[in-house]
Amino acid sequence: MITSVNRDIMPENWYNVVPDLPEPLAPPRDSKQDFSSINLLNKILPKEVLKQEFTFRRYEKIPDEVMEQYEQIGRPTPLIRARNLEKHLGYRGKIFYKYEGATATGSHKINTAIPQAYYAMKEGVNGVTTETGAGQWGSATALAASLYGLPAQIFMVRISFEQKPLRKTVMNLYNGNVVPSPSTLTEYGRKILKEHPDTPGTLGIGISEAVEYALDHDYRYMVASVMNVSLTHQSVIGQETKKQLEILGEHADVLIGCVGGGSNFGGFTFPFIPDGDETEIIATTADEVPKFSRGDYKYDLVDSAGVLPELRMYSLGADFVPPTIYAGGLRYHGASPSLSLLINRGRIKSDEVTESEVKDALRTFANTQGIIAAPESGHAIATAINYVKAHRNENKTIVVNVSGHGMLDLSIFGEKQ
Amino acid sequence: MKKLIPYFTLGYPDNSRLCRFLDILPVEKINYIEFGFPSDDPRYDGPVIRKTHSVGNSNFSDSVYSKYFDYFYKNHIKMYSLSYFSDIKDRFDEFIAYLQKNRFSGIIIPDLIIDYFSESRGVIEDLNKRGFEYIPFFSPATPDSIIKNVASLTDSWIYYGLQPSTGIEIPYELDYTTERINTLLPGREITYGFGIKSDEDIKNLMKNGGSGVAIGTYLVKMIDSGDEKGFVDYINRMRGVLDA
Ligand SMILES: Cc1ncc(COP(=O)(O)O)c(C=O)c1O
Repeated sequence: MITSVNRDIMPENWYNVVPDLPEPLAPPRDSKQDFSSINLLNKILPKEVLKQEFTFRRYEKIPDEVMEQYEQIGRPTPLIRARNLEKHLGYRGKIFYKYEGATATGSHKINTAIPQAYYAMKEGVNGVTTETGAGQWGSATALAASLYGLPAQIFMVRISFEQKPLRKTVMNLYNGNVVPSPSTLTEYGRKILKEHPDTPGTLGIGISEAVEYALDHDYRYMVASVMNVSLTHQSVIGQETKKQLEILGEHADVLIGCVGGGSNFGGFTFPFIPDGDETEIIATTADEVPKFSRGDYKYDLVDSAGVLPELRMYSLGADFVPPTIYAGGLRYHGASPSLSLLINRGRIKSDEVTESEVKDALRTFANTQGIIAAPESGHAIATAINYVKAHRNENKTIVVNVSGHGMLDLSIFGEKQ
Repeated sequence: MKKLIPYFTLGYPDNSRLCRFLDILPVEKINYIEFGFPSDDPRYDGPVIRKTHSVGNSNFSDSVYSKYFDYFYKNHIKMYSLSYFSDIKDRFDEFIAYLQKNRFSGIIIPDLIIDYFSESRGVIEDLNKRGFEYIPFFSPATPDSIIKNVASLTDSWIYYGLQPSTGIEIPYELDYTTERINTLLPGREITYGFGIKSDEDIKNLMKNGGSGVAIGTYLVKMIDSGDEKGFVDYINRMRGVLDA
């Protein structure tokens, strides 16, 4: 049941940062001379999603039907003061965490899966399809599709498919169909399998397969991250956080989140951008995927097949195959253009943490707060812990986005699932 | 009077066929004319205009067009160059002097504030000093503060691209989009371009306070097929829609 307090916390609109950026956002660009991949989006995205992507409305009304589903899957999510962690670290300031793991599918991904599936359903399409790394996005897509009675075809990066068999069970429970990618379901997948039979797969390959599948089956492609529209939908996280801080009489001095494609991070931090430069904002990535420190800020491919338009972003190159790291959701080679621009201009700082720092942070967080966070979110927690250690004598209010739980990612600690 | 602005890439499909279309263009029906100087990397154009650039690049001959520049000037049609900064930045003085000599009124530079933001203010002020119009090019992705700041540096009309690239068809919210730019720049002349073709689009844009439209991709089809009659009819019809 939803209480009036909860309703007050949930925003009525999604927030799009683009009208508030300090410089113009470079538009997506066709990668081929005589073909428009931008036009192709008309065939693979629900019209309303495409319209939102390119209209750049600062405030986009959240449809009532989507609001209802947000309530059903556990919005608003809690903002919790991590007193035990503060004590453990001996910190004089405050640490809060916004807990997106409290949603039904266990991560923030459901925040954009619901509206996208809703718009696809309204268009009367055959189904939806997407790629997934660790399986969080695939689970969210499968549930959202199921809520609207649509079939879902999911291409899961092969290494994750092998490492996380229980995710497949979850997606199947939500009526989703899952195959390891590269797969034999698409021409692109068959080509990669022939050329690199042992490839662990990448999100770029998965995206290429899902787009091809969408075109062949009149399905709509669900955008996990990177494209602006998914960051806009995720803005419920940051807007709720602002409201919750306001109710508590608190002000965020530092915001920290992890970046795969940028959706949980953008959703969490962008609603604070129009307030000025007072809040320090830090984006954390994996040491193995150092897109902000070693990537170039340039136009690059989103998917490895080059079907989608190029975006100007920080990128390690669409062919980048990261080590088979523990945090599948952070393996993506690029990051959302709006986030990339803000990092390039110095408004948002970046950090990288190593696997051992992340594991220590996850253990500490579990020991102190009882939450087993997702490995991706462990990066944000690790950066927060490092921040506290480096600013011991200050008493700032640090807010961390814990983008998901890691109950199905326990194998990173050595035990088999 | 609402402005009708046809766009042509110089040198496309070849110099003599383009001249033929310029010859039959009903000058009394248009207000401004936009000439694309062929670019090596027309990055913010769609596939149709991109093709005109790559063809135009190998054909363009300056001597062919000077008499047309003269002709349009004498007919009181203001001429604007569409040029990418990436192409002209190394010979900027020379290029602007060339345009001024040919009595162009101004220049549209689609990549200036996107790719060369830090240099853009200096470039605009330099053009102001030369008495040459800089036409701000904005799109729905341009942040509010940039629209206001850049527009405040000039008195000219504004070019507002409705699509992320020329000649493609992404659905957009016409009422919201026009209201936003009208609110940000009250009283300014806003001309819409990028992806306009139907009478309906134009009617709605004018109803929402637009001051004109630029048409490019749609004309290429007629130029490609040598459809001179269709071309003249289309310009006449658009004039009618604008004046309705
Ligand atoms: C729990 C969790 N957090 C973060 C991410 C990173 O993605 P994004 O940067 O798009 O939020 C993922 C991606 O799979 C994830 O599952």
